[in-house]
Amino acid sequence: MPSIEMTSPCMECKNEESILTIRRRALCSNCFQRFVAYKVIRRIEHYKPTINNNPIPQILLPLSLGVSSSVLLHIIDSVTQVRRRKPNTNKAYDLHVLVVDPTSLSPSDRTYETNFLAAKTNFPSATTFTKIPFHSIFEYAPDMKQIMLEYAGPGFVDDASRSNEERLTAFRSTITSATSRKDLDSVLLTRLVVAYAKHIACEAILWGDSDSRLAAKTLAGAAKGRGASLTWQVSDGMSPWGVRFEFPLRDLSKPELLQYAGISELLEGVIIPEEPISDNILTKNLSIDDLMMRYVVTQGEKYRGVMANVSRTANKLEPAKGVDDQFCSLCGALTGNVKGNDAGLTVASQFGNSQGSFCYGCIRSRPEVIP
Amino acid sequence: MSDSIPITVEFTGGLEILFANERQHKISLPARSGDGNPSNIAYLLQYLVDNLMKDQRKDMFIMEDNVRPGILVLINDADWELEGEENYELQPGDNIVFVSTLHGG
Amino acid sequence: MAPTTCVNCKEARAVIIRPKNRQKICRACFLHIFETEVHETITSANLFFPGERVAIGASGGKDSTVLAAVLKTLNERYNYGLDLCLLSIDEGIRGYRDDSLETVKRNAVQYEMPLEILGYGELYGWTMDQVVAQIGKKGNCTYCGVFRRQALDRGAAKLGIKHVVTGHNADDVAETVMMNLLRGDLPRLSRGTSIVTDSGASDIKRSKPLKYAYEKEIVLYAHHRQLDYFTTECIYSPEAFRGSARTLIKDLEKIRPSSILDIVKSGEDMAALVPNQDSGKNGQAATAEDESAGGCGSANGRSSGGEMAAMEEQLASNEDAGSRETEIKLPKTAPKKAGKAGKPAIKTQTLQHCEKCGYMSSQAICKACMLLDGLNRNRPKTEINIGMEDEEGSSTLMRQMEKIQLTNS
Repeated sequence: MPSIEMTSPCMECKNEESILTIRRRALCSNCFQRFVAYKVIRRIEHYKPTINNNPIPQILLPLSLGVSSSVLLHIIDSVTQVRRRKPNTNKAYDLHVLVVDPTSLSPSDRTYETNFLAAKTNFPSATTFTKIPFHSIFEYAPDMKQIMLEYAGPGFVDDASRSNEERLTAFRSTITSATSRKDLDSVLLTRLVVAYAKHIACEAILWGDSDSRLAAKTLAGAAKGRGASLTWQVSDGMSPWGVRFEFPLRDLSKPELLQYAGISELLEGVIIPEEPISDNILTKNLSIDDLMMRYVVTQGEKYRGVMANVSRTANKLEPAKGVDDQFCSLCGALTGNVKGNDAGLTVASQFGNSQGSFCYGCIRSRPEVIP
Repeated sequence: MSDSIPITVEFTGGLEILFANERQHKISLPARSGDGNPSNIAYLLQYLVDNLMKDQRKDMFIMEDNVRPGILVLINDADWELEGEENYELQPGDNIVFVSTLHGG
Repeated sequence: MAPTTCVNCKEARAVIIRPKNRQKICRACFLHIFETEVHETITSANLFFPGERVAIGASGGKDSTVLAAVLKTLNERYNYGLDLCLLSIDEGIRGYRDDSLETVKRNAVQYEMPLEILGYGELYGWTMDQVVAQIGKKGNCTYCGVFRRQALDRGAAKLGIKHVVTGHNADDVAETVMMNLLRGDLPRLSRGTSIVTDSGASDIKRSKPLKYAYEKEIVLYAHHRQLDYFTTECIYSPEAFRGSARTLIKDLEKIRPSSILDIVKSGEDMAALVPNQDSGKNGQAATAEDESAGGCGSANGRSSGGEMAAMEEQLASNEDAGSRETEIKLPKTAPKKAGKAGKPAIKTQTLQHCEKCGYMSSQAICKACMLLDGLNRNRPKTEINIGMEDEEGSSTLMRQMEKIQLTNS
């Protein structure tokens, strides 16, 4: 029964005062959190409690300590805890949380130790909670040193006497444009997370991308010649490395996740405040990824539905199934055209024939070889 | 050194609409910009907006203090990227062409 | 700065940096390489056969002028044996088309090609000036675009020609890819990048030989060959660039010049990944009607800022109609479907003849006839200004009608 004293009762339970409006409905804190949680849970409900002695699925959640992946962890942790309190219920999965040390991705004066510890303390259902540096990619994916050498080309000299950290820094600094740098970093980060997932025998990775991020990744992927990879970069399904990729936040926008983070006490000490993409950066100095994120955010204010539609569209594409497909040794994408695409643009038509085992997108991000 | 540089500026591809429907303008540009440096393309852009542009829609020509993406700049018929873009220092007799690619085809 | 030497001939002064590979080349090498690449596109796609009669859709603008010039050059250089002519559409916009048609007439003389001009007035009974008097300035681009696409086919049929080439360039194709991602249109995503759009059922083949040519290079080609082309904004869509996908494409080009062809490459790959039931491949339903609806005819179906709003409106009305209630409800028991299993049934398209005019259409009544129907019903035209709300309401209605037709067919 709606209470007469309430100025704006929750449109869902009608018992509480609403605190925010989401998708044109005013909701109370409790119903809003249930709404967000429901959107996530229905994406991972295929993990049912295991029967008898069947092996328990191992799943990995990469946590950047940003808003989205932290909210994802929060929701999955609370679902897991509720489930475990029920008597006689088998586990549905073992959750492993991986943090790639943010200071190893971009140099920073502060450490994020307190954030990491807060996450570990606040979300105790995780079976393991691990922090590794970016350069541990050479430990978990030992072939990366060779791939990196081939990719960087003759201009790059790798000094084996130096530490992994120095060697990775040296490689990353050969790439000068903002777009290529960001592109390569995300390729390397994906490779590291996948390698770690395989190391601890995980069958799936739950990525914390909001639908805004997925839309930006879709548009940026297309703009970087990586259209064929969208079937696993933004879609639920098998990745080239035999680990499944899932995106449980695909029905929630970044602003909605921010609203959620704003009312969740457990997330207070966890989330590292995000540096917004500055409006002062000239467009030509942005990376394509940042340009697309800015586009999705600004257009999303007016056209939320359109932006939400982008990743849904990409999610409907079917993975390539060519019999003799070859894959990029760096990013895992197809090196040729998708089967059925017999149009004119190929790696060879654009770059000559001597590009080895890399795909169109990776060759575009390669350090400039043209004088 | 004289205190002004005679140059020719042309607007094509639809841009002429913003400049009184005149394709070619012969102008005399101050040899030095306000801060005392030799006049370059960046200064020319500002000069054109302040002195030559009749249309109110500045953002059809200039964005982020530079030429709007989609407008080509030719310095003596060469792509301005070959000449140092907005840092190119203007010489007497230069021919600067702005071509819009944004208009209908 | 010392002049840079052409990397190709190593002699002349470089005046161009190629967007696709940053090569610095001179004027003569550029013109030749540009033509050679169009030739390669034509031969690798087997676009023409000797003796074929081909109509060039000519607007007097840069793209179609460059297309006509290059095709004439290549036809002579490589002995294609083509019988080329120019086909122009007069939308009936006074003060706008008059000048561009003059350009086309000069082109016909310069390139020694016969010219056919076909007017909206004679084709549809409505000039664009009359359409605008009836419906106002907002939304008229849809009419112009739909009418124009059919007009080229009808003009070709009138001349007994079965192949129309248009000046769509790589930027246009890239923009189409982005627009189809934004509007979530899988059937169009699967066809929008094809160089040839023909339908098994229709007589007229459409192709875009400049599909891989950067707009920037087209403009430079026109400049360095001093081609005679005409440019103006359509007087009825002065704000056409603002917030459009076109702006996004140009920003991308500024950041990474190659990205336009990179989008085309992505689009070609994605086209092959569209699930079969969504591709409309069963009927090869790619008619001219497909090419970016809502675009300005003079601008190759280029998007305008208004398109985003129209898309949002449609998505919102879909949500209102069905899913919103269930979206927000929180069932105690989990629903059955998740992830990819939750796909809704997706429309499929098959081709048929429009019941009214016989033109190939994906629906019972083709778009042009639907638009004409609306126009004719309101004749004689009144002087009443249709307000914004009215107009948006009617366009929503249009879409709902389209949806109903789709689900019925």
